[in-house]
Amino acid sequence: MKLAKYVKFRQEKFGGVLFETRSEKVYALNPTAAAVVREIQAGTPEDAIPARLKADFDADEAAQIDREAAAFADQLREQGLVVEE
Amino acid sequence: MDQHPGQGGSAETAGIRPQTATPGATTSGALGAPLYLAWQLTNECNFACLHCIEESGPGRAFKDEMTDQQVFATLRQAIDLDVPYISLSGGEPMVHPRFFDLVAYASERGAQLKIETNGQYLTKDACQRLKQLEVKSVQVSMDGASRETFNKMRVRGDFDAVVQGIRNLVEAGVPLEINYSPTKFNTHEIGRAIDLAYELGAQNFYTGRTMYTGNAVKTWHMLVPSNDQYMHCFNTLHLKRIEYAGRMRVHFHEMGLLQEMRERLENPAALLVVLPNGLVKLINALPFVCGDLRTDSLAQVWANFQNAWQDPRVAEFVAALEQDPAKTAELHHWIYV
Ligand code: SF4
Repeated sequence: MKLAKYVKFRQEKFGGVLFETRSEKVYALNPTAAAVVREIQAGTPEDAIPARLKADFDADEAAQIDREAAAFADQLREQGLVVEE
Repeated sequence: MDQHPGQGGSAETAGIRPQTATPGATTSGALGAPLYLAWQLTNECNFACLHCIEESGPGRAFKDEMTDQQVFATLRQAIDLDVPYISLSGGEPMVHPRFFDLVAYASERGAQLKIETNGQYLTKDACQRLKQLEVKSVQVSMDGASRETFNKMRVRGDFDAVVQGIRNLVEAGVPLEINYSPTKFNTHEIGRAIDLAYELGAQNFYTGRTMYTGNAVKTWHMLVPSNDQYMHCFNTLHLKRIEYAGRMRVHFHEMGLLQEMRERLENPAALLVVLPNGLVKLINALPFVCGDLRTDSLAQVWANFQNAWQDPRVAEFVAALEQDPAKTAELHHWIYV
């Protein structure tokens, strides 16, 4: 999975922003979502992303990571923001 | 200068669920840099349109426009700050002697570019280059569906040449957007103009109320549509938006400037308007300037921008606009905040 051609990501203090520049849409992301996008950019396989993220979050947050990361990846796919490689 | 750029809702920090907005509408508050530079490369233009909201035209380049070095330095800073979206307009951006060098510089470094042009220079070669450089889209002004209407409004412009330019663009595979400014003598053609935009291959059609500013101040009596004409125009737009749903997006600002200004006061968009001389406006429809890219860095200007919106003169100007909409005639008398 990789970001679609017209999608740009920028890190922000609150997490990040994704831009779909063809439709001119902006998506504001919380820290978890931003971390998922960073992993996608780094080429991490989708099923390995939760494990990578858990290392960076505390135990309480880690419990939700699997669910959130998978849900977010689905949303990215639905919106056409990522494509399969 | 085109009157009706992209529009949309407002973005919030979204949790895991992304909220969407457009760069020009995304609030600036928490962002580390702008999302959108609306850059008027030069005030020079080969046309002398009656409704121009700038003071553009032949021989109208500002005396103090940015040097090539300053232009490229600004572009480099925008790329370093990861500004994802830059529009190049004017005047007519394609008359800038370094136009293609700038487009190449930005595209090769991953910036997404939109070009806003009057369409006169869209030769087959130019369109091929724009395609090779992967510009995101080209917005062409086409205020009418006939030669007679278009040429009356776009003095020195030629409808047939612009339509041929549009065809060249589409043939080259460059995404096309159409901008349309309503006036007394073209509102009857709005429906046909939308149909023509679609037939020509446009993905977006933009319009809204024509603004009383720039060159349009002098010609206003010839231009301003009556209330009935505007009503016909917006009724048609509503119907066409439905008719073309899923095929071409029909965007329009029905409410005019004031409502947008009130919203902006609350939530300034993450958008910087860069003038040909490097001055940066808070928004095109206000006279306030928050920096000078010939002397300030883009990061400094962005920091100023955030504070400048809080300057009481900005809210006072918007309040005064409510009392006297003709104050838009003063938008080119810049006020430094
Ligand atoms: S093409 Fe017309 S509206 Fe656009 S900048 Fe030139 S004179 Fe103004």
